[in-house]
Amino acid sequence: MEFLGSFSGALTSFNLLIALAGVALGLVIGALPGLSATMAVAVLVPFTFTMAPASGLIALGSIYMGAIAGGSFSAILINTPGTPSSIATTFDGYPMAQRGDGGLAITLAIMASVTGGVVGVAALLGLAPMLSKVALAFGPPEYFWLAVLGLTLISALSAGNTLKGLIGAAIGLLLSTVGIAVVGGDVRYTLDTQILLGGIDITSALVGLYCVPVVIDLVATRAPHLKLSGSGGYRIAHAARIMLASKLNLLRSAVVGTLVGILPGAGGSIAGLIAYAESRRASKHPERFGKGEPDGLIATETANNATVGGGFIPTLVLGIPGTPADAIILGALLVQGIRIGPGLFDPQGDGVIYTFMAGLMIAALLVLPIGLLIGRYAFRAILGIPKPLLVPFLAFLTIVGSFAIHSDASDAQMMLALGVLAWLLQRAGFSPSPIVLGLVLGQIAEQGFVQSYLIGSAQNDLLGMFFGRPVSLLILGVVALTLGYPLIVKGLNRRKAGHLGEITQILAHEGQPEQKPFRDTPAIILGGLFTAIGILAWMETREMSAMGAVFPATLSLILVTFSLALIARQAFKPAAPRGVLTEPDTGERPSTPRRVLLVAVMTAWVLVMPLLGFFVTSLAAFVLITVIASFERMGTRTLIVNLVSSIVIVSAFYFLMSRTLGLRLSEGLLF
Amino acid sequence: MSATSFRMLIKALAIGTALTATAGVQAQGYPSEPINYVIPFNPGGESDVSARFQQAVSEQVAGVKMVIQYMPGAGGAKGWSKLNSMPGDGYTMMGINLPHSVLQPMQKDVGYKSEDLAAVHYFHYTPDAIFVQKDSPFKTLGELIEHARKTPGAVTFSGSSSYSSNHLAQARLDDLAGIKTTYIPFSGTGPAIAAVLGKQTVAGFNFATSAIAHAEDMRMLAVASEQRMPAFPDVPTFRELGYDLVGGAYRGLAVPASTPEEQRQKLSEIVSAINADPGFRKKMEDGGFVLTDVTYDKMPAFMAAKRKEYTELADKLGIKSN
Repeated sequence: MEFLGSFSGALTSFNLLIALAGVALGLVIGALPGLSATMAVAVLVPFTFTMAPASGLIALGSIYMGAIAGGSFSAILINTPGTPSSIATTFDGYPMAQRGDGGLAITLAIMASVTGGVVGVAALLGLAPMLSKVALAFGPPEYFWLAVLGLTLISALSAGNTLKGLIGAAIGLLLSTVGIAVVGGDVRYTLDTQILLGGIDITSALVGLYCVPVVIDLVATRAPHLKLSGSGGYRIAHAARIMLASKLNLLRSAVVGTLVGILPGAGGSIAGLIAYAESRRASKHPERFGKGEPDGLIATETANNATVGGGFIPTLVLGIPGTPADAIILGALLVQGIRIGPGLFDPQGDGVIYTFMAGLMIAALLVLPIGLLIGRYAFRAILGIPKPLLVPFLAFLTIVGSFAIHSDASDAQMMLALGVLAWLLQRAGFSPSPIVLGLVLGQIAEQGFVQSYLIGSAQNDLLGMFFGRPVSLLILGVVALTLGYPLIVKGLNRRKAGHLGEITQILAHEGQPEQKPFRDTPAIILGGLFTAIGILAWMETREMSAMGAVFPATLSLILVTFSLALIARQAFKPAAPRGVLTEPDTGERPSTPRRVLLVAVMTAWVLVMPLLGFFVTSLAAFVLITVIASFERMGTRTLIVNLVSSIVIVSAFYFLMSRTLGLRLSEGLLF
Repeated sequence: MSATSFRMLIKALAIGTALTATAGVQAQGYPSEPINYVIPFNPGGESDVSARFQQAVSEQVAGVKMVIQYMPGAGGAKGWSKLNSMPGDGYTMMGINLPHSVLQPMQKDVGYKSEDLAAVHYFHYTPDAIFVQKDSPFKTLGELIEHARKTPGAVTFSGSSSYSSNHLAQARLDDLAGIKTTYIPFSGTGPAIAAVLGKQTVAGFNFATSAIAHAEDMRMLAVASEQRMPAFPDVPTFRELGYDLVGGAYRGLAVPASTPEEQRQKLSEIVSAINADPGFRKKMEDGGFVLTDVTYDKMPAFMAAKRKEYTELADKLGIKSN
C-alpha cells in the first residue's frame, strides 16, 4: 500500500529525530503563556528551507502538535492557557490542580491530546478531499450560529450568577469590536489612542484576565500555590481508567475538534469551547463542570489537538489555511515549490504529502511519552519553586508572554490593566471566563452576522439567510438542545425529588463557615458603571457606518438591560448569604499591602520597560517582587540563591527571545 | 534633577548611542546582521507569501538573512502606525501596500499618515480579478454585468477587507459599467475565496494570484492588468472588454523615518537583487504575482502618481479626503 511506503519514508532516523525535537520544543513553547504555536512555527520556517520538503514540513507540524498539547500545562498549573486553544482547559484543570490532582490532570490532558491528535491526522489522511467540502459549506450565517453555540457556555461559566455572566459576555463582545473593523472599516472605541487601534489582542487578554488575578492572590498569603493530595503523583493507571470510561466523550470531542479545525478562522480555541459545552450537555453530572471535572478537561484537550489535523485539510486541499499556524506552514509549502490542491493527494504523485502526514501521525503519538515527561517537570517545578521565586516568575511570564506577541510593550500594558480589572471584578462575583468567551467569539459572530445581513439583503431574503440553510438549522438545533436540555433534566429531576439545585448551592458554599447576611453592594455599583459604559458605547455607534454600528449598538443595549436588571435584583431582594467565594480559605488574613505593592511594581515594569530596556527592567522588577513575596526574613544563603535564580531566569528568557526566537526586545537606554 | 533636565540627559544619551551605533554600522559594512522583516498582516496572505519567497533566497542572493515577524491588526494600521517609532538602524523594515496605505488614513485618523511611511521599494503587484465558482451560470464578464444590470444590488462580490484594492475595483467597475453590486468584505483573501468556492457570494473580486491554487474550481472572468498575464493567457483584461479598469495591490517595503538615506538605498538594492534572481522570478510568476521594480530613487515620482490616482478614485468609495 502507498501509505505504508510513506510511513517508512517518514521513519528515517533524521525525520524521527526532527519530529522528536519538534514535539519537545512545541510542548515547552506551548506551555509558556503568550509564546504560541504560530510564533514558534513562524520563527522556524527559514530553518526548514534547507531541509528536504518532507522533513521541513514534519518539523513544523511537530512543533504545532506539541504546542497545542503543551498549552494545557500552564492552564492546569497556573490557570493560564498557554495557547488560546487551552482556554477551556482552565475551567476544570486548575480546580483539579488546586485540590491536589494536578498530576492526574496533566496525565489526562496528555492522553486526551494524543487521542485528539491521532483522530485529526487520521481524518486528514483518509478523508481530506471529502472533508474539505465542510469548509465550503460554512458560509457567514453558519459562522454566526457557531459563535452563538459557543456563547451558550455563558451560563455554565458564570459561577452561580447567570446575570453577571451575561454582563461579562456582553462586555467581552463589546471589547472584541475595539479597533478598526474588518467589515466596514470603522474605527471603533479606540478612545483616540493608537494602542487600541489594532483591537485587544486575545492572547494578551488571556494572560491578563486569567494569570494576573492568580499572581495577585498568590502574593497575599504564605499558603502554597498548589496542594499535593494524598493520592498525588501522575496516576497513569488511574488516568487510563478515566479515559476508558469516557470513550464517548473522547470520540465526540475528537470529531468536534476535527470539524471545527476544518473551518478557516475558527481554530483550536473555539473547538475546545464547543467540545466543552457539548461534553457538559451530554454529561450525567453537568453540575461538576467548572469545579474540576476530568471530562471537561478531556473534551477540550482532545478537541484542540484534533484541530491540528483538521486544520491541514482546507490548507492542503483548498489552499485556505485553517489556523494562523497553518497559514505559515502553507507559506513554507509554497516556498518549497509544492503545489496545493486535490492533486497533492494523488497516490501517483511524489508522495511528499503522505510522508508529511505520516510524520504528523508519528508526532501525535510522540506527544504521549514526551508530554508526560515534560509535564512531570513542569508540575514539579511549579510545586517545588518556593513562593518568593514563584510569584516573580509568574509575573515575569505574564509580561514576557504579552510582550512577545508583537514585541510591543503596549500589549503588556493592556494585559496588566485587564488583569487588575479582572481581579477587581472577580471580587464582585464576575468570573473572567464569560468576558474571554465574548472576546474570542465576538469577531466571528460580528463578521458572520454583518456578512449574512449584507448577502441576505442583496438577495432580498434575510430570513432565509439566517434560518433557511440546512447547516445553519443543524447548528441552531444544537444550540436549542444545549440551552433546553439542562432545563428538561432539571425539571425531571425535581419531579424525582432530586435536589440538584441545592447540591450545587452547597458546593459553592463549601469552605465558608460563617454566613453573614450580605447585600451585594459592589454588584450594584458595578451595575451602575456598566449601565453608564453601555450608554456611552451606544452613543458612539451613532458616528459609525450602518455596517459597523449594528453589532456594537445591539450589544450596548444588551449590556444596559442586563446591568439594570442586576441593580434591580440586588437592590430589591432581601439581603442574602454571599453567593460566591471571594477569598480562598487559607486560614490566614491575606495581605493587602503586598497585593498593592505587587501591582505597583508590575505597573512600573510595563511602563519603564520601553524606556530602560527589557533585561534591566525585568531583572530589577523580578528582584523587587521576590522581596514582596518573601514572608520570612531571608538568610544570606536564601538571598544569594534568590538573586542567582532571578538572574538565571531573566537571562534565560532574554536569550530565548532575542537569540533563539529573534524577537525585537525593548532596548531603551540600556538593554 | 528636574524632569526637563532628566529628559535632556536621556535625549543626549540616546543621540550618543545612536551615533555610536551608526558609526559601528559604517565601520563593519551594512548589512552585517539579519534584517527584521515585519508583516503587518496575518500569515498566509499575499504579503506573507511573497515575503517568504524573498526570505528563501535573500541570504544566497544578497548575503543577508531576513527574520519575518507578524504584527497583524487594524488592516495593517497597527504596524504602520508603529513603524516610525521602531529603531531606524537599517535592520527593521515593514511590508507596505497600496492602495490600502493611502486610502485607509484618508478615511479616518488611523494613527499614521500615508506621507509618514518611508517606502524604499515596491517589488510586485497583484492585479484584481473577478472569479466565479466553476458551476456558476456566468461564463463571461458580459453575462455577469448583464445580470447585475437587471437586478441592481443582487450581485454580491466577496473581497478582502474594506477600503482595499478589491473594494476599490468593485466600486470602479460599478461606476464604469453603470451597475450596482454589493461588496462583502472578508477578513482576508483566504476566507473571501472560500466564499466564492462555497457559492456564498455570486462572485469574488479577488487577486489574480488566487487562480493558481484553484484553477479547477473557479473561473477568472477578467483581470485588471494592463496586458494579459503570462500565467493566464486565456483570461481577458477589463480593458479588452471595454472597461478601463487597471488596478491591484502593490506591495513593497517601508523603513522607520529615522533610517539614514544610505541604508534605504542599500535595502532597495537588496530587494532589486532578489527581484532579479531567476528562481525567485519563476516562483513569483508561477504564483500569479507581477514583478515590478520601483526602486528608492523612483519612489517620489511613483508615490506622487499613485496618490493622485487613488485620491481621485476615493470618492467612488464615498471617502472624503480631509
